[in-house]
Amino acid sequence: MLCRVCRRLPAPAVTLPSFLVMAVFTQLTRMRPWRWFICRKQFLSSFGRHGSIRRNMASDRAASQATRFDFLVIGGGSGGLAGARRASELGAATAVIESHKLGGTCVNVGCVPKKVMWNAAVHAEYLHDHSDYGFDTGNVRFSWETLKAKRDAYVSHLNRIYRNNLDKAKIQTIQGHARFTNDPEPTVEVDGRKYTAPHILIATGGLPSVLSDAEIPGANLGITSDGFFELETLPKRTVIVGAGYIAVEMAGILSTLGSKTSLIIRQTGVLRNFDSLISANCTKELQNTGIDLWKNSQVKSVCKSEKGLEVTIVTKDPEKKNDEEKTSTIQEVDCLLWAIGRQPNISGLNIGAMGVDTDERGHIIVDEFQNTSRPGIYAVGDVCGKALLTPVAIAAGRKLAHRLFEGKKDSKLDYSCIPTVVFSHPPIGTVGLTEEEAIKSRGKENVKIYKTSFTPMYHAITSRKSQCIMKLVCVGKEEKVVGLHMQGLGCDEMLQGFSVAIKMGATKADFDKTIAIHPTSSEEFVTMR
Amino acid sequence: MAALCRGRHRWKKTNCLYVPTRNLTGKYDYDLVVIGGGSGGLACSKEAQFGQKVAVLDYVDPTVKGTKWGLGGTCVNVGCIPKKLIHQAALFGTALKDAKKYGWQISEPVCHDWATMMEGVQNHVRSLNWGHRVQLQDKKVKYLNFKGSLVDEHTVKGLTKAGKETILTAKNIVIVTGGRPKYPTNIPGAVEHGITSDDMFWLKKSPGKTLVVGASYVALECAGFLTGIGLDTTVMVRSIALRGFDQQMAGLVTDYMETYGTKFAWKCVPKRVDKLSSGALQVTWTDTQTGGEHQDTYDSVLWAVGRAPETKALGLDKLGVKLNQETGKIVLATDESTSVPNIYALGDIGEGRPELTPTAIKAGKLLARRLAGQSAELMNYDNVPTTVFTPLEYGCVGLSEEEAEKRHGKDNIEVYHAFYKPLEFTVAERDASQCYIKVVCKRFGDQTILGLHFTGPNAGEVMQGFAMGFQCGATYSHLSQTVGIHPTCAEEVVKVNITKHSGLDATVTGC
Repeated sequence: MLCRVCRRLPAPAVTLPSFLVMAVFTQLTRMRPWRWFICRKQFLSSFGRHGSIRRNMASDRAASQATRFDFLVIGGGSGGLAGARRASELGAATAVIESHKLGGTCVNVGCVPKKVMWNAAVHAEYLHDHSDYGFDTGNVRFSWETLKAKRDAYVSHLNRIYRNNLDKAKIQTIQGHARFTNDPEPTVEVDGRKYTAPHILIATGGLPSVLSDAEIPGANLGITSDGFFELETLPKRTVIVGAGYIAVEMAGILSTLGSKTSLIIRQTGVLRNFDSLISANCTKELQNTGIDLWKNSQVKSVCKSEKGLEVTIVTKDPEKKNDEEKTSTIQEVDCLLWAIGRQPNISGLNIGAMGVDTDERGHIIVDEFQNTSRPGIYAVGDVCGKALLTPVAIAAGRKLAHRLFEGKKDSKLDYSCIPTVVFSHPPIGTVGLTEEEAIKSRGKENVKIYKTSFTPMYHAITSRKSQCIMKLVCVGKEEKVVGLHMQGLGCDEMLQGFSVAIKMGATKADFDKTIAIHPTSSEEFVTMR
Repeated sequence: MAALCRGRHRWKKTNCLYVPTRNLTGKYDYDLVVIGGGSGGLACSKEAQFGQKVAVLDYVDPTVKGTKWGLGGTCVNVGCIPKKLIHQAALFGTALKDAKKYGWQISEPVCHDWATMMEGVQNHVRSLNWGHRVQLQDKKVKYLNFKGSLVDEHTVKGLTKAGKETILTAKNIVIVTGGRPKYPTNIPGAVEHGITSDDMFWLKKSPGKTLVVGASYVALECAGFLTGIGLDTTVMVRSIALRGFDQQMAGLVTDYMETYGTKFAWKCVPKRVDKLSSGALQVTWTDTQTGGEHQDTYDSVLWAVGRAPETKALGLDKLGVKLNQETGKIVLATDESTSVPNIYALGDIGEGRPELTPTAIKAGKLLARRLAGQSAELMNYDNVPTTVFTPLEYGCVGLSEEEAEKRHGKDNIEVYHAFYKPLEFTVAERDASQCYIKVVCKRFGDQTILGLHFTGPNAGEVMQGFAMGFQCGATYSHLSQTVGIHPTCAEEVVKVNITKHSGLDATVTGC
């Protein structure tokens, strides 16, 4: 293990740029004496090899000049950066290849700017409630431009922080698109330069799925969540297609900020893979907050007119077999947003040639240790298609680094009980099994459900109201809590602590034993009957 | 049979008396009489539904200023509920400033109207008063608007407002009269010109420029919300803030308040309060560090110098119910029994009991079940989480760092900590120097968590789940093995990884 690490030192130091010479030097000086000894042996012998490399240069110049690292990470998003930084801390010479901005989806077109927008929308809700709480705010106008400028500035600030973090950790950042070469040893090429390492991590993440004009005429007149973050003005009239959490979040933000928003869903409810209580409640809340929900509907075509887009929609209720398909058109749409799912970002990587297996949708198949089917190549994060969440990618990247560079053989991420929050209005929190999943795996007779719903005290004096709903899914005689689901004010911040307890194996009795914090909404979980 | 099911602790104490009283059921007007219709009393009386006859006596003595309220006790009328609502209003004061950074153009100046807010708050409180009345009725608990006192161990005397006396007999009596704010009677003008939190929540008019004397959580919460709605507010602190709480956290809470405009007069003690002809209150105080004397005028002076148990009018001394001489609170056994058989007490009036609604409610319910022979379960007063609703909320469970050091030794604890920046603060360009998390663990072995402290937005909502993990015996690795929820403040708790021992910078950077 240690020898291998050392052997990957950039051997032909004389032909390398000076920063790499420095890197070698730092690497050597950072090493413990015994490692240094082995390395020196390796280093000296490499001069011998160097001669032979020279001789072969004419025939295979590029391959021989592949820059060597201990750990090569493709993708500078949450998972890649976390894995790279941890590997570097553990002494591995590490490089990160990124074609775009550092930080990946989360920082640039995901969690962070999304939550900034959500916060702005929450202020809109507050503004409704201000007068009930005694504030006279008079006329209020919203400037999307101000918000976008602030948001962009913050994202750029984060980009810089990530860059600094990499530099501080002496991780080389390689700008450009990575492509696996046909070399016998896994090697990637970026802008004509080759890089290799005994351990290569694919952390290229995902992209919003798009439809072609062949599938839906005019589909490309719409944008995706990536485009949402480029919008320079608040759309007056928005149509969002999709029923997943991204569609729900985007619809909530745009509608709350003042865009007349329609949400087109294929069936009757949003978030259909969530617990049925959440799915039903969220669907209801969307409608309550003024979103124009089109159930059993699909976009048939989109065309552009002088006044904006015309989105043609077909609606057919499958329950009513005799009903005719109904075709309607939404006029003057200035933002059509497809939120129909995400796909792995693997185009141009040439992973097919590497013997890295993928599933039918292109996700890289990994085992529980993030190993792909090709030894020495690993994958973490959204590109694997499982639990598409920043903290999951971060944890998986770090665990992998500990396994590869600290010899922690069992270091892997436990994918059970991963909590997640949807920043809808109000937010949703969920961890563990849904009621439906619990019944399926444990049998209806072994599942006990506790539920409650109430109006949070915040709304006690507001004319605007929203409910808070909560559900515990318990199994077995001991009533082990295997699922917790909620939607309501503050649920985003409530979930984390409960997810610790549930991961610890908490039972309903443990909930009952816990003393409440008054007055909060979360106390309802420990006083449920 | 039920009797045998009860805990042994009870048998030991009341063995000789217990059996006869049981046989005498029917001799008394009630199985249970509860004196005090606050959180604990209502919970106890409503829970006692096992075919029992129950009455609850509630009576509110008006404050010096004449403020009075309805059923439900401190929490509903002059505590948790109105406080949190006004705290919410105060958060809006800050939110309005944030909103501008988020692109909302709000015409200045924004005014806050005390009367509008209080109307909403008081309407809600009245609806809760009514709700409690209805619930008592539904549960067939007799509600009596009497001021109760003890005659003997089975007899309670009820006094109406008009002075009419009623005698009630009961097999068991539970005293849950709670506490009321204290006045510093040695300061001239304090009682005549000052108010307490009991008045604060029923003021018809804005208190205006206010001096808050005291540094308990009540004082800081009140000062915090008054500042938040735009009032000139000063807190006068004799020694330290939030005594009993982790002092590093207390410092962060008061630092934040100072940053957001609350003034502090540290190490100062008021000397006298005079009413000027203009109606303003002139307060004279001494700076205990310099010995210098200072004066300023205020519209209101709020005394938040502690709370005293409501034991005086109960006639406890006659019966020999043992009180703690210093605090005046009732000395209780683990099963809430007093030194006199058949008489129990719980809530704020109990010596050493946390002055918190949820503990009173839970203790009340458990006592009712035990008295009815339905259960032997005792109240566990450990692991009680709490949240202080200051402008920067502070939630905690378990030991403070000082207490952990005292009990385990400085070298045997490991403190993981983090200074984090809530995402909502970034665009709003707010300083987050006081947003901090501290997880106090045992240093060796499995690093069991001894205390968990959090300052930041929504601390109450964040803390409840962690309190449950704490109750389940969470260790540091339980935290670090839990996947975070991004982007939230709560995720920073499971991400803590810098120890105080390491001396490294605990500022969180990036995701």
